[in-house]
Amino acid sequence: MIDRHDVMRMARLARLELSEEEIDQYQEDLMRFLRSGQKLQQVDVAEVEGTSHAVHVAHELRPDQVGTSLRQEAVLSLGPRVEQGFFRVPRIVEGQE
Amino acid sequence: MSKVSKGVLGMANYDTVIGLEIHVALLTDSKFLCSCSTAFGAPPNSQCCPVCLGLPGSLPTINEKAVECATKAGLALNCQINLFSKFDRKNYFYPDLPKAYQITQDAYPLCSRGFLDYYVDDQLVRTEITRIHMEEEAGKLIHSGSSIVSSDYSLVDYNRAGIALIEIVTAPDIHHPGQARLFVEQLRLLLSYIGVSDTKMEEGSLRVDANISLKPKDSDLLGTKVEIKNLNSFRALEKALEYEVSRQGEILDQGGTIRQESRTWDDRAGRTMSMRSKGDAPDYRLFPEPDLPPLCLEPAWVESIRASIPELPLERLGRLEEQFGLSRYEATFFVHYPDFCQIFFDLAEYDLSPKAIVNFLMGDYARLARERGHLDARRIAGLLTIVKEGLIGANQEGVVLDALFSSEKSAREIVKEQGLEALRDSTELQGVVDGVLTANPDLVARFRSGESKLLGYFVGQVMRATRGKADPEVVNKLLEEALS
Amino acid sequence: MKELIQSLDVREVSAQEIVQHHLEEIAQHDPGIHAFITVDQEGALRQADDADRRRAQGQALSPFDGIPIAVKDNISTKGLRTTCGSRMLEDYVPLFDATVISRLRRAGLVLVGKTNLDEFAMGSSTEYSAFGVTHNPHDHSRVPGGSSGGSAAAVAAGEVPWSLGTDTGGSIRQPASFCGVVGLKPTYGWVSRYGVVALAPSLDQVGPMAKRVEDAAALFALIAGNDPRDATSAKAPSFQVPAWDPEVLRDLRVGVPEEFFSAGLDSQVEHAVRGCLRQLEDQGAVLQPLSLATNAYAIDTYLTLVTAEASSCLARYDGVRYGKRVEAEDSNTMFAKSRSAGFGSEVKRRIMLGTYVLSANHYEAYYEQAQKVRTLIKEDVLDALSQVDVIITPTTPTAAFQIGAKRDPLEMYLSDLFTAMANLSGIPALSVPCGLNSHGLPMGIQIMGGNFSEALLFQVGYMIEQGVEGSARHGQL
Repeated sequence: MIDRHDVMRMARLARLELSEEEIDQYQEDLMRFLRSGQKLQQVDVAEVEGTSHAVHVAHELRPDQVGTSLRQEAVLSLGPRVEQGFFRVPRIVEGQE
Repeated sequence: MSKVSKGVLGMANYDTVIGLEIHVALLTDSKFLCSCSTAFGAPPNSQCCPVCLGLPGSLPTINEKAVECATKAGLALNCQINLFSKFDRKNYFYPDLPKAYQITQDAYPLCSRGFLDYYVDDQLVRTEITRIHMEEEAGKLIHSGSSIVSSDYSLVDYNRAGIALIEIVTAPDIHHPGQARLFVEQLRLLLSYIGVSDTKMEEGSLRVDANISLKPKDSDLLGTKVEIKNLNSFRALEKALEYEVSRQGEILDQGGTIRQESRTWDDRAGRTMSMRSKGDAPDYRLFPEPDLPPLCLEPAWVESIRASIPELPLERLGRLEEQFGLSRYEATFFVHYPDFCQIFFDLAEYDLSPKAIVNFLMGDYARLARERGHLDARRIAGLLTIVKEGLIGANQEGVVLDALFSSEKSAREIVKEQGLEALRDSTELQGVVDGVLTANPDLVARFRSGESKLLGYFVGQVMRATRGKADPEVVNKLLEEALS
Repeated sequence: MKELIQSLDVREVSAQEIVQHHLEEIAQHDPGIHAFITVDQEGALRQADDADRRRAQGQALSPFDGIPIAVKDNISTKGLRTTCGSRMLEDYVPLFDATVISRLRRAGLVLVGKTNLDEFAMGSSTEYSAFGVTHNPHDHSRVPGGSSGGSAAAVAAGEVPWSLGTDTGGSIRQPASFCGVVGLKPTYGWVSRYGVVALAPSLDQVGPMAKRVEDAAALFALIAGNDPRDATSAKAPSFQVPAWDPEVLRDLRVGVPEEFFSAGLDSQVEHAVRGCLRQLEDQGAVLQPLSLATNAYAIDTYLTLVTAEASSCLARYDGVRYGKRVEAEDSNTMFAKSRSAGFGSEVKRRIMLGTYVLSANHYEAYYEQAQKVRTLIKEDVLDALSQVDVIITPTTPTAAFQIGAKRDPLEMYLSDLFTAMANLSGIPALSVPCGLNSHGLPMGIQIMGGNFSEALLFQVGYMIEQGVEGSARHGQL
């Protein structure tokens, strides 16, 4: 069972601002999705290791050599709001998830 | 002030339990996950690339040197090195976190189960290291106001984003703020010995988060723990913990409960402040990093790292005490100043007593060397040797030392040029002694009638007349003969 | 393509003329199809000019120097905006090329534009693009499939000879099937993902789309290979285009999984696929019925993993460094407002699902469980492939559906029913046209094989292509 509170909590975690209609819609979608996924819960996975990579590859490490960085102007050219070489963000409020 | 004293009273009823999480920036040329430079102090956002900016489509690749440094730290801290470790994503939003997740190691860290031994009040204690894992650094925020809360906006510099860090997590077995400080001091020294970090706290290369809780004495129940974040100096660490001990003690004394929360240390106000005002504990939604395969290390590679670890501070302390007979105070000095220690070891190769070397290095030399840089051990040995041979008197040592710093000449050359050889020729000195006594008949009379302390005055006069070069032993002997 | 290259080689036509021709095709057809989000006319002609100059000096970069190509708009192209079909990246112009783009440039290919897709590759119809719907060239009232719908439609309509798509659960093969073109989802790791905007990194792969199997193989040879920038990149050698020899079918063991021929499969699709199988049998292949029972879990496993990974991969769009930003008093509100304005509803839906399955109280039951079931699926597939050389199935249960027909997201997710298994297990899978249905719509057949067996898949696909009537192969355009 997923209630509106759960949906709003997920939205806060994901930094999404949802309308009332969206909250209703996603509540329903989440419930249906989880219902449909019920059959996964029944699969016996005792002793099974999870797969997080499709094909196993040996990890090749990168030598510690300094490469070329982007030019500062190029980096800042992407920014919606920049100031004196920095990206600017509004007030940071602690205390949210 | 009344607050603190009340807390201290309360403290008597509780045991303090402290665990530390220490973030250490590793000494690599390029970042952890990309090849941008890690150099400190560049213009903002000038050491960035698609990877460390989290541009769409960019992918991380692990810096070999970072793994090497992390492994070395683990070995030096007596950890088990896990040949198989994995990377995870820790998801949270913050303006300084480019991908809105931090690549870290959660379930399978590189190192686990180690310890660090260190002295607390002459007693050797051990703190367990639970784990050491690798992770990436975030960017740097500059606030428009004096603090984050009072700022209307902040500026972000991603030069630091993606620098390799290790997080060292201790078991909660530290019992007072002073011990926490000693632990971190010893840890910092060890890390600088093995060269994996510059450990500059003022540049943020070493940062401490502390978990602290109080439990009633003789109780098995752990108290609620409070996390204090980003303690950037030894002083802040100790002060913040002391503050928490009294704050929590006071709350408990009054029958209150401690809230599990993160707090931050306000150095100016001298107190900790709550960081999270609402909402529940963060949910980081950790899951395996799909962009990075697991890290599999070869045992032989780990052994080659082990072989590269130099003598560590505690071993060195023991060696200085046992092999060279230094006191704890002296040995500690040399352990903390590896440059002085190196010169000590170099001088010990000469035919000189350790005591003489230590007295010399910890004396005027220490001050001069800090101002002007070290002298070559060979030249110091030259000075100490002529002192030992008695070529110059103790009083001339300082003169020669000054000259050693300001010229390239050897001690012997300086002594010769300036005619500083000690006067110990009895016949020559006899004349000076006679002159001094003749010039002071009254004093000689007083001495003979029992004022024996006047001998010092006569010695002083002889030394003055010889510009300090007279051998005090010979002078004493001659004076005693003349006055008897 | 062969003819195109030949005429370029003997300087019968110039790259300029070829590119100009394709730009004209785009101008003529694309208003009705809308395969492209961005057409770089000026850049394409300049690149063609460079190619002609190189050819004139006998310094062609490759046999394909001067041949045009279109690329899905979730692949980063330096200096050419890369929107991912999202308002979020409407004005985002990458500062770097994806590795696959560098490889194409090194071979002298001319990038004519960026093709439409479901927003951030989330969808199976290209209806979820913020830049409008792409229409199926065979029937404009129908979808081209997705999420690489633009890349499939552009090739099917003759706007470009070939294109690149990306495939996370079927996003190359399903639109290839709907549009009557060839599409390959390569072995995970054989093509670099560097610069490809992530949907689900443990599943995403870039692959070629073309009218003919030979061309798809040639394009694959250009993009495949190890990339030190991608830590998941395989240490496989480069791909060599195989010889097209019918002998390959002799005693070839073809696995036919019964689960893919059960209820829900359109009878005309079944008929076409079975026809192809008979033909392979006639040519010497041995059909072996087998079971891939775990496919029953493929869609739910896939959705759990893809939404989880996507929720994390899409967190970076926060309005700070690039992309859409809606100003607000504080950073958290700015993040939320920017993201809510930048993302469409399907993207938000998947972020919500993914956040849920990763959240502290549900991680074990959903995400971790799905990872374990993924292991079972992978083992099931690898076990089957130890008994047969290739596995053949329909690519999709039906031919292209009507635009607007699937309003229910859960129904849309079932589009990947036959294709998600290859992504979950990492194996390569090729979709080849296998005829037209009674509405004149293309249908596709899927050939799967072991890791790095692309050469064999292309060879088998080639034989199927040869067998299928030319009219069906190219569609009746």
